[in-house]
Amino acid sequence: MNAKKLWALVLCVAMMAMIFAGCSSSNSTNILKMGLSGYSGVFNPIIADNLYDSYVCATIFEGLVKIDEDGEVVGDLATFELSDDHLTYTFTLKDGIKFSDGTALTTEDVAFTYRTMAAPYYQGPRAYAVSSLKGYEEFHSGATEEFPGIEVIDEKTIKFTIADGQAAPSNAENFQYGILSKDYYAHTTWEELVAKNEKPMGSGIMVFDSWAPKQYIKLMKNTNYWDPDRAAKIDGVLMSEVPDTSMLQALQNGEIDFGMPSASAENLKALEGMDNINIENYLGNGYTYMCFNTTRDTLSDVRVRQALIYALDRKSFIKAEYGEDLAQVGMAPISPTSWAYPDDPSVLNAYDFDLEKAGQLMDEAGWIMGEDGYRYKDGQKFAVNWLVYTDSTWTQTISSMAADSWKQLGVELDIQLMDFDTVASRTTEPAPADKDFDIYTMGFTLSVDPDPTGALFDADAYVAGGFNASGYRNERAQELIKEGRAEFDTEKRKDIYEEFAVLMNQELPHVILAYRNEIWGVNKRVSGMDLDTYKDWTACLRDITLS
Amino acid sequence: MRNYIIRRLLQMIPVFLGILFILFFLLDKTPGGPASNLMDPKMTPEQRAELAAKLDPDIPFYEKFVNWVGEAIQGNFGYSITHKKPVTEVIGDYIGPTFALALCSLIVALLIGVPCGIVSATRQYSRVDNILTVVSLIGISIPSFFFGLLLLKFFAVDIKIFPLFGLQDPLLMNPNFFTKLADYAYHLFLPTLVLGMGSAATFMRYTRSSMLEVIRQDYIRTARAKGLREKVVIYKHAFRNAMIPIITLLGLWLPSLISGALMTETIFALPGLGKISVEAVNARNYPLILGINAMLAMLTLIGALVADILYAVADPRIKYD
Repeated sequence: MNAKKLWALVLCVAMMAMIFAGCSSSNSTNILKMGLSGYSGVFNPIIADNLYDSYVCATIFEGLVKIDEDGEVVGDLATFELSDDHLTYTFTLKDGIKFSDGTALTTEDVAFTYRTMAAPYYQGPRAYAVSSLKGYEEFHSGATEEFPGIEVIDEKTIKFTIADGQAAPSNAENFQYGILSKDYYAHTTWEELVAKNEKPMGSGIMVFDSWAPKQYIKLMKNTNYWDPDRAAKIDGVLMSEVPDTSMLQALQNGEIDFGMPSASAENLKALEGMDNINIENYLGNGYTYMCFNTTRDTLSDVRVRQALIYALDRKSFIKAEYGEDLAQVGMAPISPTSWAYPDDPSVLNAYDFDLEKAGQLMDEAGWIMGEDGYRYKDGQKFAVNWLVYTDSTWTQTISSMAADSWKQLGVELDIQLMDFDTVASRTTEPAPADKDFDIYTMGFTLSVDPDPTGALFDADAYVAGGFNASGYRNERAQELIKEGRAEFDTEKRKDIYEEFAVLMNQELPHVILAYRNEIWGVNKRVSGMDLDTYKDWTACLRDITLS
Repeated sequence: MRNYIIRRLLQMIPVFLGILFILFFLLDKTPGGPASNLMDPKMTPEQRAELAAKLDPDIPFYEKFVNWVGEAIQGNFGYSITHKKPVTEVIGDYIGPTFALALCSLIVALLIGVPCGIVSATRQYSRVDNILTVVSLIGISIPSFFFGLLLLKFFAVDIKIFPLFGLQDPLLMNPNFFTKLADYAYHLFLPTLVLGMGSAATFMRYTRSSMLEVIRQDYIRTARAKGLREKVVIYKHAFRNAMIPIITLLGLWLPSLISGALMTETIFALPGLGKISVEAVNARNYPLILGINAMLAMLTLIGALVADILYAVADPRIKYD
């Protein structure tokens, strides 16, 4: 009797709740619903340091330039000209640009935005966008209020001057960050500036409506958009927190219109089985890599590094971890989607799995198989450690595959499991003498420009906190990096990067393991979402319509 | 009693500082730092180093400890590195759902666990007892994430009567207080069930064993011998004494409800403290780790004190002076 009553009560409550919730969410059909997870609420284009916050910024703010779908830097709010010495960028703002609060966007706002990034109190991640400008050091140290690198000519014209010797095609990318209103974002301290993070206001096609941490972000159409012909066609965007575990279900039952499940064969298959979903599948702009500590006796010989890679079946790894359609074997430190990737990939060695060849190379390097099944040289056993972080699965998959095939090669492998920060604290973080590893694996996201300065293969980045932990130095490679950075002729630049890629593919201080795809599920009611490596959904937003 | 409470409160201060000191020591020994996650390839090593120093100054941990306590006394708990806003505000953003979930599931757990425990004890080895015992053992051993996913699969995907994720419907038009409340209740129903059922099983086991012990006491036999009705014997005489271990459990359950809801929060995508604590540890977001742990330590200490006070209420034989 009692149990029956209780059950009835529970059902009543549940039904009431359903009625309330059911009748309430009408009138929302023209809102694009996205599922994601991981935003932290820093909605300021010059402070945001994660991808998801950047999505929000990209809809609310606009920059001087943007990256188009071919990966080229093109004007957005402004048109620009580069002087003959490649040092001065002169931007001319388009007519009639207004922030969503109705005030005009002028070059004063542009100067304000870029001066903020260079300010002494600035604690965001974009210092690199201004550090090549003339007079940055003096301004950033607080020694002077003058910043000669930024010069407002008039309301529509602004000039940025790069410091001598820093001219590079990649500088143009630094002008893509959203412009802040100098009145709305007026501040005297860092705390005052970040206090506006949750109330962003810019000139973009969306305005910020509301958000609740780890629940949703609601963006509404900017009805005052300064260029009505290019305004959004939808009423708004709702970005809901959806955990990875529920992403597919939410796509299937229509609770969200689009989302990015992790790119695995089984997720792709599940998406293919849904009749309400289209799939967007494209190559991501990045790679996963393996770093060899070449200062170690075991790994200093290039033949040993090559042998280890010949003895690693990356094709099987890709098949097991991602599925054949969702990744490919990596060869060059350049994304295959970039113009800088060699036209003829056969100049690069894919190091197809070949244990016999691996054994020969080890023999040539003087590491001879001992009776106990391990290789020895001058009485030293070939033993290496591999730092593996457990935050994602691929590192564990590839290291356990290596444990098996390298054992056959006569290598004693010690796999050390830890979290991501611990790997970083033993590899890239410490000074060269304190780097405490033989091998580690990680993922790397590339910028649009292929310039490798400061990245994995730049020997000058072999310092505390630098990205290169391999300790490998090759003077020719360093020359190529410098030449490539400063070369404005794309054809010549392409040749330089091809030589660089071939050299690194030969020397293997780092091994590019795989290039990975990204997959999105998009509901069939959405049209105009055409995603690609350099074109994320925020770039499509203007054209999106819903049925 | 008043003196006792004041004395206990004063004792809490050194214990609390001790916990914090250990926390600072452990964080100092953790590899990595807030800057380890700043992986923007365009940043030069100098820029990273400058940022790292701003985020986490390079001074010994005991100095950090002293600075932190000094600031905390003035109500300043620092800035969360990932959220770029004060730690107190971040905790404020996330504590609501966690508390709501903890409270609802605690009520569910008590309402189900305690009566079942009593029934089970008074009818020891009966069929009801056996069934309840088996069910509660299943409840204790089934992992909450599995139970949660099972409920989601059934209620949110197959028959679609409950939502798949979240705490509220952001597209709710012109909500008033009641529709909002109903919306919260609708979203919290399944998570409460998951968390509440797990705890109910534990509460039932404790109630049962404690009750069994009490009803074998002499004074219960005396009460029965006086001719009191069985209901009065059990619910008036036995129940009150049997509650003492439950009160201890409640006192200690308080902080674990907050930290232990992690799995449930993750599966149902609820914006709670459990989830951000894990994120804070992964990102080495020291100010937030300290803020949350200081709060949990405080709650544990207060929970223990409240339990001690409630002993005296439940059992007149316990007196503090």
